[in-house]
Amino acid sequence: MTRREMLRQSGCGFGMLALADMLHAAERTNPLAPKKPHFEPKAKHVIFLYLNGGLSQVDSFDPKPELTRRHGEPMPGPKIKTDRASGNLMRSPFGFKRYGQSGIEVSDIFPKIGEAIDDFCVIRSMWTDNGNHGPSMLKMNTGHQLAGRPSLGSWLTYGLGTENQNLPGFVVLCPGYPVMGSPLWSSGFLPSAYQGTHIHNSEQDPEKLLQNIRNQTLSAPEQERQLSLIDRLNRKYVNRLGSQPELEASIQAMEVAYRMQAEAPEAFDIRQESEETRARYGDSDFGRGCLTARRLVERGVRMVQVYFGNFQPWDSHDDIMSHARLARQADPAIASLLADLKANGLFDETLILIGSEFGRTPMIQNSGLEKLGNGRDHNVHGFSVLLSGAGIKGGTTYGATDDFGFKAVENRVHVHDLHATMLHLMGLDHTRLTYRYSGRDFRLTDVHGELLRPILA
Amino acid sequence: MNRAVFAGLLLSSALSANPAGTAEFFESKVRPVLATQCYSCHTGSKMGGLRVDSRDALLTGGKSGAAIEPGAPEKSLLLAVVEGRHDRLKMPPQSTLPPEQVAALRDWVSAGAPWPEAQVAPKAASKDAVITPEHRAFWSFQKVRKPDLPAVQDESFARTPVDRFILARLDQEGLKPVRAADRRTLIRRMSFDLLGLPPTPEEVQAFVNDSAPDAVDRLVERLLASRHYGERWGRHWLDLARYSDGRIGAAVDTPYENAFRYRDWVIQAFNRDMPYDKFVKAQIAADFFPESEREAMLAGLGFQTVGPNPDDRVDVTTRVFLGLTVGCAQCHNHKFDPIPTQDYYSLLGVFKSSRDEQHPLAAEAEVAAYKKAKEEVAAKEEILKDWIIRQSEELALMLTRQTARYLEAAWRVQAGQADAAHAAESAKLDRETLERWLAYLSDRDKEYDYMDAWFAMIDRAGGPTNAKIDDVRREAQRIETLAIEFFTEKKEIDDRNYVKLGGAKGVKDEKTRQYANLDFLEPKKFYFWRDLTTEPYRKDGFNHEGGIYSYGPKTIARWLPAMWLQHLEESRAEIDRLKKEMPPAYPFYHVLKDTEKPADIPVSIRGDAKTPGEMAPRRFLRVLCDGDPPKFEKGSGRWELAGSIASADNPLTARVIANRVWQWHFGEGIVRSPSNFGQLGERPTHPELLDYLAWRLVESGWSIKTLHREILRSSTYQLSAAQDAANVAKDPGNRLLWRASPRLRLDAEALRDSILMVAGTLDSTIGGPSEAFSEKFRRRTVYAKVGRTKPEPTLTLFDFPDPNTSTEQRTLTVGPMQRLYFLNSTFVAEQSAALAKRLIGAASEEAARIRLAYNLLFGRDPDQDELALGVEFVASGERQWPQYTQALLSSAEFSSVP
Repeated sequence: MTRREMLRQSGCGFGMLALADMLHAAERTNPLAPKKPHFEPKAKHVIFLYLNGGLSQVDSFDPKPELTRRHGEPMPGPKIKTDRASGNLMRSPFGFKRYGQSGIEVSDIFPKIGEAIDDFCVIRSMWTDNGNHGPSMLKMNTGHQLAGRPSLGSWLTYGLGTENQNLPGFVVLCPGYPVMGSPLWSSGFLPSAYQGTHIHNSEQDPEKLLQNIRNQTLSAPEQERQLSLIDRLNRKYVNRLGSQPELEASIQAMEVAYRMQAEAPEAFDIRQESEETRARYGDSDFGRGCLTARRLVERGVRMVQVYFGNFQPWDSHDDIMSHARLARQADPAIASLLADLKANGLFDETLILIGSEFGRTPMIQNSGLEKLGNGRDHNVHGFSVLLSGAGIKGGTTYGATDDFGFKAVENRVHVHDLHATMLHLMGLDHTRLTYRYSGRDFRLTDVHGELLRPILA
Repeated sequence: MNRAVFAGLLLSSALSANPAGTAEFFESKVRPVLATQCYSCHTGSKMGGLRVDSRDALLTGGKSGAAIEPGAPEKSLLLAVVEGRHDRLKMPPQSTLPPEQVAALRDWVSAGAPWPEAQVAPKAASKDAVITPEHRAFWSFQKVRKPDLPAVQDESFARTPVDRFILARLDQEGLKPVRAADRRTLIRRMSFDLLGLPPTPEEVQAFVNDSAPDAVDRLVERLLASRHYGERWGRHWLDLARYSDGRIGAAVDTPYENAFRYRDWVIQAFNRDMPYDKFVKAQIAADFFPESEREAMLAGLGFQTVGPNPDDRVDVTTRVFLGLTVGCAQCHNHKFDPIPTQDYYSLLGVFKSSRDEQHPLAAEAEVAAYKKAKEEVAAKEEILKDWIIRQSEELALMLTRQTARYLEAAWRVQAGQADAAHAAESAKLDRETLERWLAYLSDRDKEYDYMDAWFAMIDRAGGPTNAKIDDVRREAQRIETLAIEFFTEKKEIDDRNYVKLGGAKGVKDEKTRQYANLDFLEPKKFYFWRDLTTEPYRKDGFNHEGGIYSYGPKTIARWLPAMWLQHLEESRAEIDRLKKEMPPAYPFYHVLKDTEKPADIPVSIRGDAKTPGEMAPRRFLRVLCDGDPPKFEKGSGRWELAGSIASADNPLTARVIANRVWQWHFGEGIVRSPSNFGQLGERPTHPELLDYLAWRLVESGWSIKTLHREILRSSTYQLSAAQDAANVAKDPGNRLLWRASPRLRLDAEALRDSILMVAGTLDSTIGGPSEAFSEKFRRRTVYAKVGRTKPEPTLTLFDFPDPNTSTEQRTLTVGPMQRLYFLNSTFVAEQSAALAKRLIGAASEEAARIRLAYNLLFGRDPDQDELALGVEFVASGERQWPQYTQALLSSAEFSSVP
C-alpha cells in the first residue's frame, strides 16, 4: 500500500489510524532521514543554477539564421502577445559556433559551456504560462503560479530526505533575494523542515552566512558542560513523562546541532579552496555560489539552488548586450562546476539544471520604459534550459522553436514536464509523490507533467 | 417532468403495495445508509470499480460483478458484504452496519430495489452539474441538530456533555481514559492554551491550594477574561486569514502600514467574545452593517483586502468559513464536491463587484488637508525636477561643445605637461570634468570603436608624451564633432518620441510608455552618448554611474549662475518647509466597497477568461440551499453572501468553527481536515460531539468563549498525558482522546513570548502598529511585522506559516537548527542573562535561586537531584548563572506542554 492510499484510507476508519499517526510522528521526529525512492534513481542530488530575469534563448543556445537574415523586418505571421511593445525582428549581436562531437551551436558569450556541450542536453522547446517574473518564477520553482505551494527542493527532501544530517537538505544561495523571495523555496503546506535554507552568499565568512552556527561567548568546554547539563535534565524529564518518541527526537536534535557547529561552517567555507580553484569559478557571487554548491553536494546535500543575483539581473529589456557581461560571470562558473563534478565523480549522481523563468522575444523591445531599444521582452512561448549530469543524454538537443526562436513548435516542453522528468531521475514518480493537505492529495506537477524520455541516457 | 423521473415514479407506484418498495422507504431508510456508509468510496472515486449512487450503477457493479440482483437479496453481493457472508469482502471496511440498516437494505432489494428518482449521475465536466440527493446527503451538508447525550459506563468521568461523547466512543472501542492531570500540569496547560504564556509561580501556587469545588471553573474564567487571551486566539485566526503587513501577490514586500488594524480588530473580537456570526459577516461585508455598528466592524474587511485578487478571495472565504474548496471549481465542476463551476463564478461575481478602498479614521478636513499638502509637495518637486533636468541638458550640450579642449587638456596631463588642476585652469576648463575624462581615457575597453583612432594615435607615437599636438587636436576635433552629432541626433529622436507619447502627460505615464513603439539611437552611438552625457541609471542589473558631462540634482548647483542658483535654493527651501508642515499621514482601514455597477460575470470555460460561457448569477452555493438559491440583489451581494454563511441554518459554518476551536485546544480537530469538510476531507471521529458543539455555539449566541468553557471544563481536557499500554495497543495516536496528547514544542510565538516573560523582559503592551523584529523588539510576537517575501528567519525556524496562503494547521518540526538557536542565538543568550540577573536579584542563596527558576519556567519545585545538579553547575561563580539559565531555557521541559 502506498503512503497516499494509506493516508486516504485513514480517513475512512479507525484501524488504519495508528500507522498513519506513526508515519506523521516519523516525519516530525526526523523528517530529513534518508528515505527510499519509488525506484532506483539515476541522480542523488540536484543543482539548479537559476539565471533569474530570463535568459534569451536566441542569444545563447537556440541560434536562428532566419532571424539574422530577416533582421529589421516585422515578425511574420499572426501577432503573438508580448508583455510590452515590441518592434521588428532583431538578430543576435553574438555569433554562434559549433562545439564538441555533437556540433551543437552555442553563442560566443558562453565559450566554456560550448566546450563542454557534449555533457549537456539543450531543451529548446520550453514554454510556460505567465509573462510576469513573479508568477513564472513560482511556476518554475513550485509548479504553481500563486505563492503557497511547496518548492521542487521541498518535494525532493520530503520524498527522499537528505544524506547529511549535519547540513540542511535544501540550500538556496542568493546574494540578496530574487523577485518573489522566499515563496520560491517555501515548503508550503509540507512540514517546514523541507523548506529551503536561504543563504545570502554575498558574505564569504561562514559565521556570517549561517544563522547561530557559532556561540559568540562560550568556550568549547563551557558549551560541552552546558550541553551535558541539558542532556541530564532532559533524560530526567523524559523518564518522568514516560516514553514520547517526539521528545526523544528533539533531544537527539541537540546532539546533531552540536555536530553541525563543527561541520557546517567548514562546508560553506570556500576560502578553504585553492586560489586557483576560486579563480576558475570567477570573482563573482555566482561563481562563489557554484563553488559552494559543489562543496555542499560533495557533503550529501540533496538540492542546492544558486540564484545568479539579487532581484533579476538577466532581465535584459534595455540592452541585450547586458547578456554578454552576465555571461562573463556565468560561463566560467558553470563550466568549472561541471568540470569539478566530473573530476570527483559526482557528475554521475548529480542532476544539473540551468535555466530561468522564461525566455526573451526575438523582436526588439521598443517600449518607452527603456533607455536604449536594444533589448528583448519576456517570452513565455519558447525558451531554452540546459540539463546535465546523472541520467541525462549529453550532447543532445530536444525540441525546437519556430524559425525566429519565438514559439516552441516541436516537442513542446512545459515546466511541469521538466519537473516530472527531474523527479523521475531522482527516483520519484511525480504522480506518486503526493502530500495530503486540506483533504486533497497535492503534487508538484498538479494534474500535469509528461516524462521526457528521449532526453534520458 | 423529465423522462427519468417519470420512469422512476412509475416504478415506485407499481411497487407501492410493498412498503419497502415506496419512495418514502427508499428516502428514509435506504438512501441515507448508502449515502453515509458507502458514498465516500463508491461514488466518483469508484473504489473496486463500483458506484452505488444509482440503480444502474448497482446493477452494473464493479470488479466483483453486479452489486444487487433485484428481488434476490441472497444472491446480491451488496448484502453478502454488509452481512459478513462474503469470504473476501467486508463492508464498510472498518465497522459493521447496525442490524436495522442491513434489514432495510435487504427489504429494499427484496422489493426489487426501486430507485425513485433515477437520477442521471453527474458528469464531471458537464456544462451544468446536477446536484443530486446523494450529494445533499453528505454528512457535512446535513443540518446541525442537537444530538442526544449518549449513555456511558463511568458516570463519574462524564462531568460534561463533551465527556459523554468522548467516553461513549472509548467504551465502544474498549479504551479507558487515564488519570486526570495534576493541578500544576493543568494550570500550565491552560495558560499556554488560552494565553500562550506560562502561569506565574504565584498563580500556580494559588491554584494548587484552591480547594473550592469550582477552582477549575474560576481558573477558566480568569484566563478567558485576560486581555492576553485575544493575542493568542486572534493569532490562530490570523493564520487562516493569511495576515501579513504586506500586500499579498506583490513581487517585493510592499508595506501595508494599516494592515495591523485588522490584526488588532481580530484580537479585540476574541477578547470581547464578539458573536462569531457577526465576526464572519464583518470580514465579508462590514460596510453593510447598520450605521451604529459599522465603524466598529469595518476593520474586519482586512481579511479580504490583504489580498487583492478576487479569485483568492473566493477561495479563502469559502475555505475558512465553510470548509469548502470552492476554488477547485474555477476551471471545471468540482471533481468531488457538488460545486458546479457556475457557483464559483456566482461568488467571483460578488467579489468582482467590490473594490478596495481606504476608510479614513480622521475628519474629512484632515484627510483633505493631508491629500492637498501631499499633492502640493509632489507638484513642486516635479516642477523643480524638470527644471533641473533642463539645466543639466543645457550644461551637457555646452560641455559637449568643449570636448576637443577637454581631450587636449587630458592629453597634456597624460603627457606629464601639467597636473589636472593646472591643465584645467590654463585651458579655462572645469577640473572635475577633466578628471572624469582622464578616468574615461584610462580604461580602453569600450563598447564602440569611436575612440579607437585616438588610442591608435597615442600608441603610434609611443605614448602620450611623444604624441604630436596637431595629431591630438585633429583627433580631439573629430571626437567632438561625433559627440555633437550624436547629441543632436538623440535630441531629435527624443523630440519625436515625445510626440509619439502624446506630449508631457504621456511621457510620464507608465502605461502609455509601456505600449509605445519608440525610436532609439543606434546602440553604439547610444553607448558613446551614455558615457558622455547620461544621468546615472540602473538597467538590466547594471549601474550606470552617469556620463562625463552629467551634473544632476546633487552636483548642478556650482554650475548655475547666481539668479539660477538662488531659484534652486529657494525652491528647495520651500519644498522642505512644505514637507515639514505637512500633517502626518492619516490612519485608515483597508475596506471593500461595492463598485458603481455591480454585475454578474460569465463562467470562464476551463478557467480561461478569454472563453466566456454562460452567465453566473450572483447567488449562494446551490448545495447549501433548498432549490435554486435566490439571486443577490443588494449591490455586490456581499451582505447577502455574508448572511448566507453566518447563518444558523448553514450546516457548515458552525461545524467548521467548532472544529477549529477544538483543534486549537487539542492539536487535532474532530475533523482532521479543518478547511475541507467536503468529500475528500476527513470524516469526523466524533460526529455527534461536533454537532453538539456546533449546536451549543449557535444556541449561546455564537459565543466562542462558551465553546472554550464546554471544552476546558471537561474531564477529557483535564486528562493527564500518562501512557497506558492497553490503550496504546489499540489507539497509539490517541485519536479517541483517552489521554492528553502532550504538546511537544511551543509554537514560535508562545516560545519567544514565554522566554521574555520568564526573563522578566516582556513588554506586554497590547495593540498598535507592527514593529520590526529587531534585537530591541520585546513585545509579544503577534505584534512583529510579518513580511511576505522576506519572512523572519527565527519565526520560520519554529514553523511560523507562510502568510501567502491560508494556514489551517501549523506544522510542527523539531530539528537541529532549532537547537542551534537555543545554543547560540544572541536572543537566547541575552534573555538567559536577564533571567540570571532576575534570579540573582531575587535571592542570595543558590538553592533559592534555582527553586525560583524552576517555578518560573516549569511551574514546580526542583527535586533533590535537580537542585544538586544546579548547585554544582553554578558553583564556580556568577559567570555560570547565564549558562545555567540558558540550559534551563533550552531544556525540553521548558518548551513542551504535557
